Amino acid sequence: MRAQSMQRTLLSLVLRLLLLCMVATGKCSGKYHELLLQLQRQADLMQNPSTLLDPYIHLQGLHSPILKGSCMERLGDFPSEDVLWRLSRQDFLWTLNTTLGLFLRILSALQQDLPKAAQQQAEMNIRGLGNNIHCMAQLLRGSSDPEAAEPTQPGLGPTPPPPSLPMLPLDTFKRKLRICEFLQGYHRFMRRAGQVLRGWGERQGRNRRHSPLQGLQRAARRTWPFPGLRRLAPQGQLPR
Amino acid sequence: MALFAVLQTTFLLAFLPLRTYQSEVLSEPLPLTPESLSVSINSAKQCLHLQWTVHNLDYHQELKMVFEIQISRFKASDVIWTGNYSTTVTQNQVLHWSWESELPLECAIHFVRMRTMVDDARIPVPRFWSNWSSWEKADAQNSLGDHPLYVFPKDKLVEEGSDVTTCYISRNHQDNISCYLEDVLTFGKQLDQSVWAFKLKNISFLRKTGTNFYCQGQGVPEGVVLFVSKVLEEPKNFSCETRDLKTLTCTWDPGDDTGLIQLPSYTLFESFSRKKTLCKHRNRCDWQVTQDSQEMYNFTLVAENYFRKRSVCILFNLIHGVHPVAPYNLFPKNVSATNATMTWKVHSIGNNSALLCQLQLLGEGKVIQQHNISVRVNGEYLLSELEPDTEYMARVRCAYADHFWKWSELISQNFTTAEAAPSEAPDVWRDVMFVSGYPMVTLFWKPLSKVHTHGKILFYNVVVENLDEPSSLEVLSVPAPANSTKVTLNQSSYQIHVTAHNSVGPSPASTVAISGHPGNENVEEGRINGTEDGFPMSWKPQSRNATGYVVEWCDGPQNLPCVLQWKNLGPTTTGTVISSGAFRPGVRYNFRIYEISTKRMAHLLEKKTGYLEELAPSYNPQVVPNNLTSHSFTLSWKDYPTESQTGFIQGYYVYLKSKAGEKCHRGFEKTVLPDNSVCCKYTIDNPDQKTFVMKDLQPESVYEFFVTPYTSAGEGPMDDFRKVTTPDEYSHILIHIILPMIFCVLVIMIACYLKSQWLKDKCYPDIPDPYKSSVLSLIKSKENPHITIMNVNDCVPDAIEVVNKPEGSKIQFTGTRKSPTETKGTKPAYLDLLPTEKNYSGPGPCICFENFTYNQAASDLGYCGHFPVTSQAPHCQLGPLTSPENLLKTLEQNYMNSLGEIPAGEANLNYVSQLASPTSGDKESPPTNPPEPALCSEYKMQMAIPLGLASPPPSENSSLSSTTLLDPGEHYH
Repeated sequence: MRAQSMQRTLLSLVLRLLLLCMVATGKCSGKYHELLLQLQRQADLMQNPSTLLDPYIHLQGLHSPILKGSCMERLGDFPSEDVLWRLSRQDFLWTLNTTLGLFLRILSALQQDLPKAAQQQAEMNIRGLGNNIHCMAQLLRGSSDPEAAEPTQPGLGPTPPPPSLPMLPLDTFKRKLRICEFLQGYHRFMRRAGQVLRGWGERQGRNRRHSPLQGLQRAARRTWPFPGLRRLAPQGQLPR
Repeated sequence: MALFAVLQTTFLLAFLPLRTYQSEVLSEPLPLTPESLSVSINSAKQCLHLQWTVHNLDYHQELKMVFEIQISRFKASDVIWTGNYSTTVTQNQVLHWSWESELPLECAIHFVRMRTMVDDARIPVPRFWSNWSSWEKADAQNSLGDHPLYVFPKDKLVEEGSDVTTCYISRNHQDNISCYLEDVLTFGKQLDQSVWAFKLKNISFLRKTGTNFYCQGQGVPEGVVLFVSKVLEEPKNFSCETRDLKTLTCTWDPGDDTGLIQLPSYTLFESFSRKKTLCKHRNRCDWQVTQDSQEMYNFTLVAENYFRKRSVCILFNLIHGVHPVAPYNLFPKNVSATNATMTWKVHSIGNNSALLCQLQLLGEGKVIQQHNISVRVNGEYLLSELEPDTEYMARVRCAYADHFWKWSELISQNFTTAEAAPSEAPDVWRDVMFVSGYPMVTLFWKPLSKVHTHGKILFYNVVVENLDEPSSLEVLSVPAPANSTKVTLNQSSYQIHVTAHNSVGPSPASTVAISGHPGNENVEEGRINGTEDGFPMSWKPQSRNATGYVVEWCDGPQNLPCVLQWKNLGPTTTGTVISSGAFRPGVRYNFRIYEISTKRMAHLLEKKTGYLEELAPSYNPQVVPNNLTSHSFTLSWKDYPTESQTGFIQGYYVYLKSKAGEKCHRGFEKTVLPDNSVCCKYTIDNPDQKTFVMKDLQPESVYEFFVTPYTSAGEGPMDDFRKVTTPDEYSHILIHIILPMIFCVLVIMIACYLKSQWLKDKCYPDIPDPYKSSVLSLIKSKENPHITIMNVNDCVPDAIEVVNKPEGSKIQFTGTRKSPTETKGTKPAYLDLLPTEKNYSGPGPCICFENFTYNQAASDLGYCGHFPVTSQAPHCQLGPLTSPENLLKTLEQNYMNSLGEIPAGEANLNYVSQLASPTSGDKESPPTNPPEPALCSEYKMQMAIPLGLASPPPSENSSLSSTTLLDPGEHYH
């Protein structure tokens, strides 16, 4: 049992290093608070529906109150708030980075449905945030701060549910609504991520009760969180 | 063969009734019925697809048949459509037919049946319908899930302007379902218990992502997207051309986008070759020319989308549609100052067909030369008559020589010709000033125009030639871009030659001659009026040998430095119009016209001055009123410069307002000012008159005046009126009297001041000081050391003692002036009238004295007072100095002191001094040794007494009268 756990930890570490090396571009700031503030600001920016959802709604003609009202986040599209709070910092960054990486791919698949300018801007925002996530992860990894591996809220958190692209229906009307829900979920997710990041700033003085290895161990127990990726088959707009 | 015969027999027997196939006419109707009818639904196209066969047909038999089809909805008995379908049927043929439903097929169950009838001319009438087939059911609802609400049709393509029917199926029969087209509530028609239909009319294009129609019940809204396509337009401007006789390119304007993601298709069809190609672009298509020398092409372009098909045709001759590719490698070769050779290359067409190329030469953006050259491969052309040092642009384009249709695109190349010496002499003028009798010449020249410089001007050479000393030459080199230089000459005659030089050489010389002596400058100045074109002027030639004329002027206003301008004119010219962009309205310009002699000497011919446009004066003179009298005053504005005004000053308006509002004076006229006030106006029509006398005015009146100049364009601005008040008529008289009087008084005062001592001595001699009297010391030492001088302050002033003197005593004093101490032996008789203080205890040891200073009679009598001395101190006390009484006392003392300084012997009047007490501040009196004990003295006022009253008989009445005179305000000293 112990050997199995160790294997998972190692696997997780290797995966993280690979991911962060891919993201690594440019020079990272070594100032934790500066980096954290930047992450918070980026999350705040991306949680704003006017950056992606509103242009989509306008383009697809879903601006009537009824249709807008039905455009709600669907459970399971993105990690819930509860899950995010229970993650250690490194786990949180990893989850955020993975979720946004997947979302970036989905954006590319949905480019016929989205306004081009909004889509490009969203992609740039996600890439920018990814760089800062990488820098923060590097900073946390280099520090001996036990809080880095400590969950934001006490208690052993569940494995975050993997974000998945919805199976888009053939019916164009349903497809419109489903994408709308998905984009709504993205903004809500970014809002939750921003709240967690703000929580980091407020938790400087808390007691440190967990070792930094705990988070890594938990992450190592996890498998690749994107089985839904295999189902990502964007459908054509017109079924003809 | 036997087998074949058997089979043939069997076939004929089996189909005996139909053997008419081999004959010409069938003898009886055939019982043919449609069989195997099946119905399917095409949801995308909303079509019912029918498929069936017709049995009992002979082999090879072909019959024309009619099928009557009935379609029902919801129930078989509700037939909604009946129609015929005619076709030719062969044996075992599977027949197909489609029916497009207006109502989405998913919303209703459909039933289909048909029957048939032979409609062949070979079959004799009457013809009979077959029996109906059984109803076939088409139910799309079977494939739906268990969702409570469905809306149809899904993703339907609609052409803009058409009508669409939508519907919804409510599985749980909800009543409160609302449907919207976009966000507009739409009302429909109930077809069934659970089905509602909505007819959307004249649907319009909103966006490429489709128009949303949705319904909402209790849950999530359900809806459909209608993809609306704009109407496909017919291609416009369809044309074809070839660039190389190998490939044809046809182009067109496809019109507006239909708005769908699926674009219309464009197909090019050529009818002669019967070839077809699908175009890759929506506005262009390429076609390969065949090698079989086909010249004519009949193209049909077909544009097609889901709803429409549009086509346009063109008949095209290949030779007539050659549009060559643009030439290339255009370069200048052998470029000189005036020539350049241009070379270029062309793309070959067909079998080296000739091209017609057009070479254009452009200077400053305009085509100045154009040449056509026939070219096969390489083009070359010599451009001549070019200007030196000039930038040109050469352009080439080519067209098919055999049949011109269209020029190729242009290619261009810039080049600059080489420099050459300037072709024209600079335009030179001079300004001569004589300083100490020697001419100081400033030479000006205008830059040569670009046409004449032929290169960059580097410097100007100025050669000064003394005509009186031919051997002396002075050469000055002035670097460009200077346009003037100064030369100081002596009193000889000179010729000055100016040349402009560029890198190639000099220009021709320009020559001016200068005389060593000033010419005639006394030429009368004439006026000219400017026009829109400038200043027109003319002159009278003085000499028949003039080689030309020069008009010079300054471009700027007179108060600015002169930018000398000139204009050369030919010898036959006697007039010109001077125009300049620098001329401004309201500025005076002075022109001088010179005649140029054969020796290039300039003689002043005329002077002109004028305005391009006269303006009203911009400011008014500062007017000073002077010579003010009660009936007139003079206005003066002598420092007002008329030369620098914005027009020729023609005179002045004098405005006058009086408060009385009386009639205008002679020469004035009434006028209304812009503020609607009325005043009088006088016009001075002489611009040199700068004074004006206002006459016939009223004394002691207020007048307001205002002076403004006027030009031909109007008068100056309305400023504030200035006020003048005429003086009193007699004031001058008063002045004539009062002034001398004041002068006299001043003289007297000065004289008095200077002679004050003398006057004082004469009028107010010093009162002798008793303390300084020798008599006092004599008395003190010999008789009674306690005798002292009475202090006036110690005396109660309101007690008057009337002294009754015996006549003899008067006689005793007559003619003798004695000190009061000398009267000690005489006992005075006196009367106490008013005891002033309650505690006054009656007559005490007082000194009583009388002062008859102004009593001439008394003086004449030589009367002298006596001083009774009491041994007891008086009860009276000194009050504060600030009380009127004390102030009076103080004044009395001061005066007494001043009198005390006058020597007794110098006084004219005979008087008895009122002694100043030691406390009175008399510094000359002994500060110490006051009369101790202080004695009360009696004081008798000095008063002027008429001679008749000089010695009244002492009585009580008289004493009372004297007491009333003691009021402080009525003291006499």
